Amino acid sequence: MRKVMSANEAVANAVKLARVGVVGIYPITPQTTVIEKLAEMKAEGEIDADIVRVESEHAAMGVTLGAGAAGVRSFTATGSQGLLYMHEMVWWASGSRVPLVMMVGTRAVGAPWNIWNENTDFMSERDSGWIMAFASNPQEAFDLVLQGFRISEDERVFLPMMVGMDGFILTHMKTNVYLPSQEEVDAFLPPRRQPYVIDPEAPIGMGNIFPPVEYMKLRHSIHSAIQSAESVIKEIGKDYEKISPFNNYRTLNVKYRMEDADYALVLMGAWAGDAMEAIDELREKGINIGMLRIRYLRPWAESEIKELENVKGILVMDRATSLGRGGPLYLEVKATVRNQVKGVVTGLGGVLLNKEDFKRIILKFLKEAKEERSDGVEWYYPAEVEKVELRNPKDVE
Amino acid sequence: MQHEYQYFPITVPGKGAGGQTGTWRFVRPVVNLNKCIGCRACWMFCPEATIHVIDGKVEVDYDYCKGCGICANVCPVKAILMEGEDQ
Repeated sequence: MRKVMSANEAVANAVKLARVGVVGIYPITPQTTVIEKLAEMKAEGEIDADIVRVESEHAAMGVTLGAGAAGVRSFTATGSQGLLYMHEMVWWASGSRVPLVMMVGTRAVGAPWNIWNENTDFMSERDSGWIMAFASNPQEAFDLVLQGFRISEDERVFLPMMVGMDGFILTHMKTNVYLPSQEEVDAFLPPRRQPYVIDPEAPIGMGNIFPPVEYMKLRHSIHSAIQSAESVIKEIGKDYEKISPFNNYRTLNVKYRMEDADYALVLMGAWAGDAMEAIDELREKGINIGMLRIRYLRPWAESEIKELENVKGILVMDRATSLGRGGPLYLEVKATVRNQVKGVVTGLGGVLLNKEDFKRIILKFLKEAKEERSDGVEWYYPAEVEKVELRNPKDVE
Repeated sequence: MQHEYQYFPITVPGKGAGGQTGTWRFVRPVVNLNKCIGCRACWMFCPEATIHVIDGKVEVDYDYCKGCGICANVCPVKAILMEGEDQ
């Protein structure tokens, strides 16, 4: 079935088709309409999932994790301050090795308040031991959430998975989305599997104190599971072709016009669309640039990124930043390839970029690349930095 | 299928998971079986589950009893006395 819907609705449909049993939600900003859609589906009897309203995002993940540990397929969604408030439980979910899926509608983090899009919240969970995917359009949001349940529940993985998507510019954007039928999804997504389950007949202790060596052994197992997830994702992506007309899930990341590219642009998320338009126009002027869109931050497909070593220059654009250092994607790419890498931090707090901005950034990079000085990090936004007059405490009094 | 890297943060209930905690004890509960009426109050209250009632008689597992004295306190007929380990 094809239908025009937002990424939020697409995700809600994926949750419905996956026959999720429990959705732990905290329905206040920063939340997306995915949970409203799920509540609507529940009210109309389309799903029989328990929708549990809780007092915070911390508790939302607690409910989702608890349901998962009890053997129920579970889902939650959050972003921004909500994700930060959930941070502790995010680590409990991966440390517990309980499969579940969370959608993150990315937004800037305060202070000061800013409700607009930025990926820093998503990036701040990079080290938590989750499988981390990032969608670029509503169709991919649907596909990744649906595949996410199977990836997360694979015995070679057994880790929670978060699917990020740009707040508003993707979550609320409507496009044509293809939905497979319930029968097809049932065949693609077998009943839930997990490493252990809460069962009064066979009691277990979860998250009890682990001495140093056992703790480190567990961390090592999560590290290995994330690495082995790379081949699992490819395998599941190939299998997905049985129920979907889309066949671009055989790799973790997505290439655009890279076959003959001399230069490469690396980024992730919804703005890949604007970047592709800019690349098309630059190509007409004879500039051989291509794009590698990162779809999986974890696992980090090192062999796919290493292919960038064949180009003359690499430009990485981040909609997030590790303050004082550079964009997280830039740092990851720099740690993977031997080439010179330039990073551009932009689009923070909802700063919008259009095709012309991309062309401007790319042309400046090309000029620097030809002079072999295309490294370091540049901040790009449409304003001058103003001098702020400082006040000393006496004046304040 | 087994994956050698897979390891999970769970523990299963077992005897003495925390080691032989009986070595912590400096007073030990001694049961006077002539006084014991088999009411199981000590069995019920023992926080470490080291008291067993076998055929109506109380037995203390001294490998794990930490000597907290709760059993002696709750015994309605004062059948349990705490004696110093050095005696």
